[in-house]
Amino acid sequence: MRKTARLALLAAGLLLLAGLAGAAPKPLTFALSGNPDTLDPQKTAGTLTFQTVRSLYDTLVEPDPQGKLVGALAERWTTSADNLSWTFTLRKGVKFHNGDLLTSKDVKASFERIKAKEFASPKASEYAAITAIETPDDATVVFKLSAPAAPLLAALASGWGAILPKSLIETGHDFANKPVGTGPFVLKEWVRDNRIVLAKNPDYWLKSMPRFDSLIFQIIPERAVQVQGLIAGQIDGSDIIDQEDVAALEASGKVNVQRPLTALILVMAMNCSKPPLNDLRVRQAVNQAIDKQAILDVAYGGGQPIGTFMNYGNAYYKDFASLYPYDPARAKTLLAQAGVTKDTVFEMVLPSNYPPHVKAGEMYQEMLVKVGLNVQIKQMDWPTWLKDVYTGAKYDFTVIGHTGKLDPDGTLGGYGTEKRYVRWVNAQTAELIAKGATTIGYENRRKLYDQAMEIMAKEVPFVFTGTSYRRIVTNKRVRGFRMDPVLDTFDFRYTEVQ
Amino acid sequence: MIGGQAARRLFYAALVYLAILGAAAAAAPWVAPHSPTEQHLDRRLAPPGGVHLLGTDNLGRDLLSRTIFGSRSALLVGIVSVAISALLGSLVGLVAALSPRAVDNLLMLVMDSLLSFPTVLLAITVVSFLGYGLVQVMVAVGVIYSPTFARLVRVETLALKTEGYVEASHALGTPLAKVVFRHILPNLLGKVVVQCSITFALTVVIEASLSYLGLGAQPPTPSWGLMLKDARDYLAQAPWMALYPGVALALTVLCFNILGDALSERLNPKL
Repeated sequence: MRKTARLALLAAGLLLLAGLAGAAPKPLTFALSGNPDTLDPQKTAGTLTFQTVRSLYDTLVEPDPQGKLVGALAERWTTSADNLSWTFTLRKGVKFHNGDLLTSKDVKASFERIKAKEFASPKASEYAAITAIETPDDATVVFKLSAPAAPLLAALASGWGAILPKSLIETGHDFANKPVGTGPFVLKEWVRDNRIVLAKNPDYWLKSMPRFDSLIFQIIPERAVQVQGLIAGQIDGSDIIDQEDVAALEASGKVNVQRPLTALILVMAMNCSKPPLNDLRVRQAVNQAIDKQAILDVAYGGGQPIGTFMNYGNAYYKDFASLYPYDPARAKTLLAQAGVTKDTVFEMVLPSNYPPHVKAGEMYQEMLVKVGLNVQIKQMDWPTWLKDVYTGAKYDFTVIGHTGKLDPDGTLGGYGTEKRYVRWVNAQTAELIAKGATTIGYENRRKLYDQAMEIMAKEVPFVFTGTSYRRIVTNKRVRGFRMDPVLDTFDFRYTEVQ
Repeated sequence: MIGGQAARRLFYAALVYLAILGAAAAAAPWVAPHSPTEQHLDRRLAPPGGVHLLGTDNLGRDLLSRTIFGSRSALLVGIVSVAISALLGSLVGLVAALSPRAVDNLLMLVMDSLLSFPTVLLAITVVSFLGYGLVQVMVAVGVIYSPTFARLVRVETLALKTEGYVEASHALGTPLAKVVFRHILPNLLGKVVVQCSITFALTVVIEASLSYLGLGAQPPTPSWGLMLKDARDYLAQAPWMALYPGVALALTVLCFNILGDALSERLNPKL
């Protein structure tokens, strides 16, 4: 009798265990390379934040996989004949995580929040053209502009264009720690420097999405640890895998590797205000001393060389890559003509927090030494680099990657004037770029940008090196993972987990 | 403890290693088979053997040549910063011991407050302030290790001051400077030399640590710490990248410590 009871108890226990295992499928764990500084999408410029909040918030429009902007929270939109009034019609029945229904008032409150001077958002200037936001009814928002502003649509599609609920904005809710949006997932837990746990939003406006229940961002700064985690199956995905690790990962047989192009513009910038770099011949010589493909392959794990200041694959990209081919002999001749000798010391400043740029810097330096230049490397921490190099232009050469922008003005804006860190002044280019920002329509803008990019390609304020590939590695049980083009954020809505 | 015979053998082995290291550092341009900075992009991550005896790193640089040239950074930082800390520390210690109580207390307070910081953190702070580079590392490390010398010299001087011959010399009206140079300094020398040897090992480690963090030697200057930093990302594919600088670093530190122990026994015999 006693024996039977014990057996029955054991059987019940086993059943319970089996039931628990069945009820909680393994969540999807994705590696995040650092802790986001905040989860308030309007309060930061940090990519880590946008990579996280992409799953918590939605924007009026969003890029499709090809980079074309399509409706998201807005079903459709029209612009007036003078381009000074943009009308968005909102999707019906969208609910915030707190239960509020999305209305045009929320959109107005969100953009007024990011534009407010006292709020001091680093992205406020992107909405500067908006002079008034009108809400004729719950489903309609009208943006009134001071001047035609082509880049505004891209600003509405970016992570910082997130829509927050008006009721919580008014009560001063702590969005930095407790995000509330309309997104496909809801924040469950954020353990600083460890993990961010999200759960499926059952009321998401895209029906039957997301397609899995639980998403964990595991914060793993060390790349080697991410690789081991992928091989061991402890994490399901990472977007920052080095080319060198791909062989070991593929050998494990557990993962799929994708190699899409990034939207980066990898460059070695030159300070054109400092002699002898103000001499075009010297800048040409520097360009011809560099083997771009070698730098892309070794330092950045492969990529496409470019010839002007636009990422390869961008709709506005124009190819000038063959203008100054790799030719060290020609570089030496040009340097001799310009009278540059070993007595001129060039300082190459490298941001020490970006190992690929430091590695590339070592290669640039060696290539420049080979044509007879005297180049000294100096590493700097990131805040000092931003202050001394990017703002103060205290450098001769520096190596950096410009992140791609959804709108070409985000990339080119300000170049040709004193404002940009290369200190390259060219009135014609500056005028073309300024005109491009107020011109509407792809074909019209393309004509202007083609000219501007051609001048930049010929005058070479940079060594335009190229656009690298990224390596997205996911466990074989994960399907349909997407990254938003240009924005570098993760779109988990179409992802399926087995 | 290791017995006398074994200890002596260890001491000679350490001496031989350090002599070879010193010679390699001095004659690096002639000893190294390749340029330490030239990149052979077609021979990246080559395993040991062949043209590159110890293999190449991630940019196709010869590892043997980089390890040999790396000894220069290590020894240079060691020599200069030990010299700075020995001179600065001894001076402070001597002045403190021979000065009135108030000055003594003040100087030792400053030295003790320096001692209270974790060494590497203090070095990082100083280097971040002065800018990255080997020169800055030498200055920082030199200052940071001076309190050990100051403490040592002060205590020894206080003891020597009460020795009969020193007091006698003082009583005979010999000028203070002469007393210091004739009676005090010669008697301090042994202890200071031992401390130098031990401090040397510490500075080599600090140089490697700071270079590993990117704050010390700037690329492409070969430095063991910098080589270890480069190697970190390739531990799986090219373990040899980490092996040689790691072994060289470990051996150098070990040998300086053995040297310090042996010298301490020889120069400061305990009765």
